[in-house]
Amino acid sequence: MEYSSLHRQLATMKKSFFDQGFLDEQFFQIEELQDDVSPNFVEEVVTLFFKDSLRLMGNIDHALEKFPQDFDRLDSLIHQLKGSASSIGAAKMKNECTVFRDFCDKENQEGCIRSFQKVKKEHACLRQKLENYFQLLRQVGPVAKATRSGN
Amino acid sequence: MLDSGGAAAAAPAEFPAGLRVLLVDDDPTCLMILDRMLRKCLYHVTTCSRAAAALKILREKKGCFDLVLSDVYMPDMDGFKLLEHIGLEMDLPVIMMSSDDHKDVVMKGVTHGACDYIIKPVRMESLKNIWQHVVRKKRNGSKELENSGSLEDNDRQRGGVDEGDNASSACAGSWKSVKRKKEEVKDDDEDDDDEEALEEHEDPSHSKKPRVVWSVDLHQKFVNAVNQLGVDKAVPKKILELMSVVGLTRENVASHLQKYRLYLRRVSMPQHQGRLDSHFASGHDASYDPVSLIDGFDVPGLAVVSQIPPQGRAAIHPGPRSNMNVGISASSVNQFGLIASGIQIANASNMVSSSAQQMNNKRMSNPQTPSNNIQLSQFGQTPSAVQPYGSMNLQFGKGMPNFLTSSSQPSSFSLPSGTMSGQMNVSLTMHQAQHLHQFSLSQQRSNINIPHSSGQVLNNNASHSSRLSSALTLQTSSNESSNHILGQLRVSTSITSLPANYIKSPFSTSRRDLYVDGQSSFVNGLSGSSYPSASGVGVSQQTASFQSFSSNHDLKGKFDNVTAFNTISEHQNRGHEWKLQRVNLPYQTGHIFGLEQSNLLSHSSLMSHHNSAATATNRDNNTGATVKDKITSLTNDINVEKRTSVAQHRNVYIDDNSVRLNYGVSPDMSYQDVYLDDMQNELMSVVAKQVTFEYIYDDYLA
Repeated sequence: MEYSSLHRQLATMKKSFFDQGFLDEQFFQIEELQDDVSPNFVEEVVTLFFKDSLRLMGNIDHALEKFPQDFDRLDSLIHQLKGSASSIGAAKMKNECTVFRDFCDKENQEGCIRSFQKVKKEHACLRQKLENYFQLLRQVGPVAKATRSGN
Repeated sequence: MLDSGGAAAAAPAEFPAGLRVLLVDDDPTCLMILDRMLRKCLYHVTTCSRAAAALKILREKKGCFDLVLSDVYMPDMDGFKLLEHIGLEMDLPVIMMSSDDHKDVVMKGVTHGACDYIIKPVRMESLKNIWQHVVRKKRNGSKELENSGSLEDNDRQRGGVDEGDNASSACAGSWKSVKRKKEEVKDDDEDDDDEEALEEHEDPSHSKKPRVVWSVDLHQKFVNAVNQLGVDKAVPKKILELMSVVGLTRENVASHLQKYRLYLRRVSMPQHQGRLDSHFASGHDASYDPVSLIDGFDVPGLAVVSQIPPQGRAAIHPGPRSNMNVGISASSVNQFGLIASGIQIANASNMVSSSAQQMNNKRMSNPQTPSNNIQLSQFGQTPSAVQPYGSMNLQFGKGMPNFLTSSSQPSSFSLPSGTMSGQMNVSLTMHQAQHLHQFSLSQQRSNINIPHSSGQVLNNNASHSSRLSSALTLQTSSNESSNHILGQLRVSTSITSLPANYIKSPFSTSRRDLYVDGQSSFVNGLSGSSYPSASGVGVSQQTASFQSFSSNHDLKGKFDNVTAFNTISEHQNRGHEWKLQRVNLPYQTGHIFGLEQSNLLSHSSLMSHHNSAATATNRDNNTGATVKDKITSLTNDINVEKRTSVAQHRNVYIDDNSVRLNYGVSPDMSYQDVYLDDMQNELMSVVAKQVTFEYIYDDYLA
């Protein structure tokens, strides 16, 4: 049935996210929070994350440009971004943030710039994937909720 | 039991459901997730993305929360500072969160008094059990009472649990119920001149029992009773009998006694304490880690404090910070100096940091040495030297008194005979300038320890007292937190010699009525004489309040000096624009009136202090708005209190030479200017705020 095929698709998609390391188990925690009271919680949170992280990344870009040597500032900014990413389970992005942070500690400006590019890349990548996911989820409709815990 | 006000949602019938949590996190994603998680746990959640807003909410709705969950890294205020503030002002359990799991950061959380530290990303499991901290805190509060010999542990806990149940209701609901109770209580006590109306505070973390307002009279009785029995031997039951006050329960007395003991202990701490923790109520600070000195403040003296293990202290101050050696070693500082220094310390975190820095560093390595005092002496001696606020919450442990005495001054600090055990939290959280807030917080907590020194001062002639008072004032100001105590300090001196300076600073912090009276009264105990409560008229004028101290020659060890603290704190406040004066309202005066013997309510000074601090804060901090609000609320509170107190007390204004609300800046207090240091101001403001809250400190209530 189309329904179950969509269902399966969703499940597969989600599984791949985990297998490939884009998401980690924190994402499960988020899913657990979705219920009748907050039926779209996951999507809302993810949307909020991507929006807010754009802001944070903008700050980092700005800092890299204007205060490239201010590693404390960079460290603080990336810490925020990292915390945010980890809260929704964005594993790859979080890891890149850690790499960035290490470069900050070592005061390696070049390294910071490079790793930040990676952070942005991971961000874009995850965003795309999750957008697809939610799109599919919407198609599946309320039933999709049941698939959440599956997988 | 569910609040009759009703909860918006179906109120869960069992604790911990309905636990009222305040969530503070600047990251919107985290905030949303945590909010949801907490709601899933059936907790009642209020969210904030700014620490300042959180404090504001907490202050306005004291008693509406059971627990605070806060992020560590926030843009407007360091989470640790917030932690301190909360600890000092509201004594709520606080759980810190961060994705930073480095040991030193976690340690910092612990030393600043966090109940727990959760690593992000947060999982549901971590949140499910946070209610345990609420219960634990209440239990510890109860236990403290028990130690003092009286406590109905069950009541407390039940009360606590009940509160928890009630938590499901909106604050409004609970406030309503509280108010109702209050009215009932008031009716009963209308005729009771001795006691202030029993107010029921809506303090979820405490039992629902009506809160006793420890008026000057009441506290005086208490102190008399304690003295009669012997400070060490006094047990609540006997005290209660001796006091023979209608409506007072053994529990009330027990908790008050506990606070008093802490106060005494604090007072006996060396002047360094700067943090006037006159705040008697450091009681609940039992868990207060003396070590949690403000970072940067390395209070070597603390080492002496029984509570702070040297290494602990060291731990508290990670390397760079340790420069504040504030206080504890104040002993070397002459009493006055100490006080002043204490204040200074409290006030000028900045100041201290620089000077303390070196001292601290030295100290750290040698915690026990009286050299600590040295530092203080630098500060102490001259009011101007006011020690940086640094947040020295020196908690004097029993051992501490020595500090004071060891000071060069013949300070007659007679440390209370070991009553202060435990509570002397030397919360020397001396923060570097940037941690002013913290400092103030800790200070508050730690109760202005100046008492000790103030006691001494009192013994001296009046002139001393004035100095003392000023010192105290300074202290007070610095110890915003200590203001608690100050407010309460009633310098009981035979005050004959007391100059009119005793300022009966009205307790601007109306909330703290309790404190005002009770706390300061501790001081009374000793001599039984009327203590000139240097009510430190709040804010600006600290000077006056201390005067009363001089009369307290009896203060041997008794901390009438506590009052002095008030003064000091007030003084401190003065440095900033304390406009608290208005805050200091007459309320205090009212209290004072009640005093039979010109007891100056030092609290008033504290009160004013608070107020001023608040004001100061305003000035300095962006939290000014908050402060203003506070002041306003305080003012209102005070007004209310005033009315109440005045009604209750005859307008017995202490003899002119004793209490006089003197809001003006006394010449002695010139050193207040010292505090004008920016940091100080900030600190002060923070402290002030805290102090204010301190008054209202609920912990005082059993």
